[in-house]
Amino acid sequence: MQDNFDSIISRNTLFWLLVTNVAVLTPQFEHATAWTLAICAICFVWRVGIYFGKVAAPPKLLVTLLAIGAAITLGLVSSQIGLLNALINLLLLGYALKYIEMRQIRDVKAVVLVGYFIIALTLLDQQTIINTLHLTLVVVINTCVLISIYQDKRKPMANALFSFKLILHSIPLAILLFVVFPRLGPLWLVPSMKTAKTGLSNELSFGDITNLTRSAELAFRVGFENPDGSTTGPANTDLYWRTLVMENYDGTTWRQDDSIINLQRQAFFQNIQRKMPTTTDETAKVYQYTVISEPSHQKWLYGLDEAFSQDKGIVELPDYRIFSIRPVDQRQSYRVSSFPNSIMDAHLSDEIRQINTRLPAETNPQTWQLAQQFKRNYPEPKARVSAMMNHFAEQQYFYTLTPQILGEQQIDDFLFNTQAGFCAHYASALVFLARASGLPARMVTGYQGGEYNPKAGYYSVYQYMAHAWTEVWIEGEGWQRFDPTAMIAPERILDGFDATFDSQTSYLQDSPFSTLRLKQYPWLNELRNQIASLDYYWSVWVLGFDEEHKQQLLQKLLGEVNTTKIAIMMLVSIIVILLFIAYFAGLLQFRPKQDPINRKYHSILQRFSQKGLPNNQQLPPVSYLQLVEQHAQSSQPGLVKLFTQFTTLYVMLKYQPLTSQERVDNLKKYNRLYQKLTLKLFTIKQISDSNSHSFL
Amino acid sequence: MFKGKQNSTESSALNNDFVQVKNSWLVKLIPPSAKKRWSRWIGRRLPPQAKVTLSHKGIFILPTAFGIAWIALIILLYLFGTNYQNNLVIGLSLLLASVFHTCIIYSYKNLAGLTFNAVKPADAYAGKLHTFPVMLTGHTKQKHHDTTHQQICMQFAGQRHVRLAQTEEQSIATVQYHNPRRGLLTPGRIKVWSNFPLGLFKAWSYVDLNLHQVVFAKPIESDIQLVSENYSEQNEISHGKVRPGVDEYTGLRSYVTGESLKQVAWKQWAQDKGMLTKEFNEPEGTPVWLSLAQTSGVDLEEKLSKLSWQVNYLTNKKQIFGLILTDKVISQNTGDAHRIECQKAIALFKPQFSMTQDSNRQQQSEQNQGANDAR
Repeated sequence: MQDNFDSIISRNTLFWLLVTNVAVLTPQFEHATAWTLAICAICFVWRVGIYFGKVAAPPKLLVTLLAIGAAITLGLVSSQIGLLNALINLLLLGYALKYIEMRQIRDVKAVVLVGYFIIALTLLDQQTIINTLHLTLVVVINTCVLISIYQDKRKPMANALFSFKLILHSIPLAILLFVVFPRLGPLWLVPSMKTAKTGLSNELSFGDITNLTRSAELAFRVGFENPDGSTTGPANTDLYWRTLVMENYDGTTWRQDDSIINLQRQAFFQNIQRKMPTTTDETAKVYQYTVISEPSHQKWLYGLDEAFSQDKGIVELPDYRIFSIRPVDQRQSYRVSSFPNSIMDAHLSDEIRQINTRLPAETNPQTWQLAQQFKRNYPEPKARVSAMMNHFAEQQYFYTLTPQILGEQQIDDFLFNTQAGFCAHYASALVFLARASGLPARMVTGYQGGEYNPKAGYYSVYQYMAHAWTEVWIEGEGWQRFDPTAMIAPERILDGFDATFDSQTSYLQDSPFSTLRLKQYPWLNELRNQIASLDYYWSVWVLGFDEEHKQQLLQKLLGEVNTTKIAIMMLVSIIVILLFIAYFAGLLQFRPKQDPINRKYHSILQRFSQKGLPNNQQLPPVSYLQLVEQHAQSSQPGLVKLFTQFTTLYVMLKYQPLTSQERVDNLKKYNRLYQKLTLKLFTIKQISDSNSHSFL
Repeated sequence: MFKGKQNSTESSALNNDFVQVKNSWLVKLIPPSAKKRWSRWIGRRLPPQAKVTLSHKGIFILPTAFGIAWIALIILLYLFGTNYQNNLVIGLSLLLASVFHTCIIYSYKNLAGLTFNAVKPADAYAGKLHTFPVMLTGHTKQKHHDTTHQQICMQFAGQRHVRLAQTEEQSIATVQYHNPRRGLLTPGRIKVWSNFPLGLFKAWSYVDLNLHQVVFAKPIESDIQLVSENYSEQNEISHGKVRPGVDEYTGLRSYVTGESLKQVAWKQWAQDKGMLTKEFNEPEGTPVWLSLAQTSGVDLEEKLSKLSWQVNYLTNKKQIFGLILTDKVISQNTGDAHRIECQKAIALFKPQFSMTQDSNRQQQSEQNQGANDAR
């Protein structure tokens, strides 16, 4: 039962395919390898050639060979560019090759479906509001192709308008579904993007953090939700965002312990949870907050002291960190509760104690001696650590972002020779001292501080806030945080990082266009805050929308949430949406409308009668025209001329058979004349027929 | 089409140009009894009418294969979004789901309000493609001035479809019926469908305009086999051919300068209708009859076919003739009305002998039976 409908692709469709191809492929520019781009470009040029009738469709064999070749090449390079990237490239190539090979409407439909999938792939790493609007436009264009198959309009713009209308009508229901549809945790492991990782590294040699300190990129944002409704968090001095705990030191580099690395590897398969502290104590402070992490392509997450998260896909590691089972390849938001007063590891197992007191043998002898000195002078552990901290304050230590290269005995060289360094130097030295004096100690890296945005009430943490500090285990108190850097440059901790380096500004030299530079101009800073707030709300309410937000939203809308209420809300919304679409599709009519042509004609007649002409609506149009001529020819020749044209068109539209094109054209003219006449009649006070009488 | 197996093989042997329309395997799975019940239900719900306007009562909407592929994509995107914990991808999948829903309304709208009228069709001859013209009128009472309907397909059961890319306020569709057989053809319901707007749904309905058409026998060129004997005594006129003359008034035509003023229709002239000339014909020649018994041919169908051709030929030549079938006699006359009367008689001719003798005839009756079933 086929006519040639299925085998002929109309020119309109071909045109939209050209547009769609560009629209769908360009956002993937970053992921495509050079030769994927080249093949896509060749396919596009070929299609343009086909469109203008310059070249024939390529032979099937060539396309097949190209496809096989491309697949094999991609298979070979997939280890270099990462599995997901290889798959994306494969999809792009398939899209491009299918695109020149299209012969039937069926092929076009396949191309459109793949197009939607490529748009979804693009959404994986392009998630800002602008990106979303842009990609919605791409969806509209992609839908245009389908519409151009079924809508026989000669103008492509008509297809575009209809497509836009269709998508616009679908958005309300999509939003409703977005709110009520259940969100599940990840169902299985999927390949992730292999991109340059940003942020902290799980290895720390002393040169590493210098680069980070200079980057003004956003690392993550935090919104606090206090029971009293305020959005402020703890004081700046307590904003230590723990990210990594490093327990192994080989004399040059700090690393995570193997036991933790193993746990991290198994995170997907074992749901590791820590025991949440019971908050019976009234004084125990709890912070509830949501972290929106920028893509770091790492799995570690940020949290304040003793962080817990019940979110799906997040595990709680025994070193009091939270950890994502998937790399953060896209903006990800998660909820955290922190118990700053609870004790981390009240009892230390022998194994962990052993790990945290281990030091590379026969290194840094001077530091060893210093440690023994501290041990003798301060037998009480807490006093000993305080004394070590004071040592950094009392001696001539300097904070610098450009330290000298250290010799083989790193800690010795730093403590007794160069005496200048940044956080990692000081933290390493303190851990070394503590361990050498017999106290379990470890290195913690993360971020310190946060810039508060009062508009939307959240903290922004930038990459330059990366920091390293120390945790020492003290009997009865568990792991205690000590930040030796604070002893050197205390302003940094007290006032935030920006204050310390305001004069220096070297930390921003890598990003000359950073919006942070706008801080000098108050109104620009205001604008920056506004835009940042909008982005924050987008991240929280759209990108980070989850079951909990759903409950919050429903609670706001319905008060107390129960299933009956939700069911009623759904029902009402669906009916409203249905009526809305049906109305705009032209299915509903609230009252039988008069034919607009008639209505306009009679309204003009009405106006004439207001201006003193006889009110005789039953007169045939031509007779009425004569009447008007009689009365107004002498006084208002312009008006009569307009009305003559108007009447002629009215008669033509009502009584003459017209082709649809003529009809449309005449209707346009008619409407224009109607407006002119209305205006003219509005300006005229009275059609004086006394004049004409005198002439008669 | 509900045909016996035996007949279909026979018919394909007989008519090579017949287009056998294949049903999809899915349709084949439905048991015939269910089809019959469905057909009867539809017949009650959408009874035959001269003018049919589509409304919610008769519009059915189901997803197409592409619609199912669309749903598969929605599920795929939802899983993809879930696994990558990406709300925007989930949002895209839900948007596509919502578009799916919107399309239901638009596909309904594309058919709703469409009015169908049958237009008088041309002569139908057996074995030739016959088209039933149907007038489609768009939704005139619509608030939006877009009264067009897109991609409307129409077909009789088991026949090829015709597609109207876009209907204007009024369009004529010629619905095809391939290879009809001699006799009364009742093609049954027209299936009307459209995949607008995205091809996700097929919206369809059945329009029963109570169509029927006498299909004339397939004309086969032959010698003119006229019989000049007087078949019946009561026939006083025994002329064979007409030429312009004075005896028989046949009608009016416009006056040509130089013609006799005697023939001018003065009455009409007085009524301000202009100068018209009365036309008269004069019969001439020998009386002729076409007779089934005297027609040569292998079987009955061939004989009838030859008769059919001769009737047309003689009418073209303005010959006066009569028609003698075994059980029916049409008196001598000429003109188009006479031609149609004769053709109808030939078309509806049923032999009086036993049915088994003539397989074609049996086939014919069964086909019509089938068409009746389909109604």
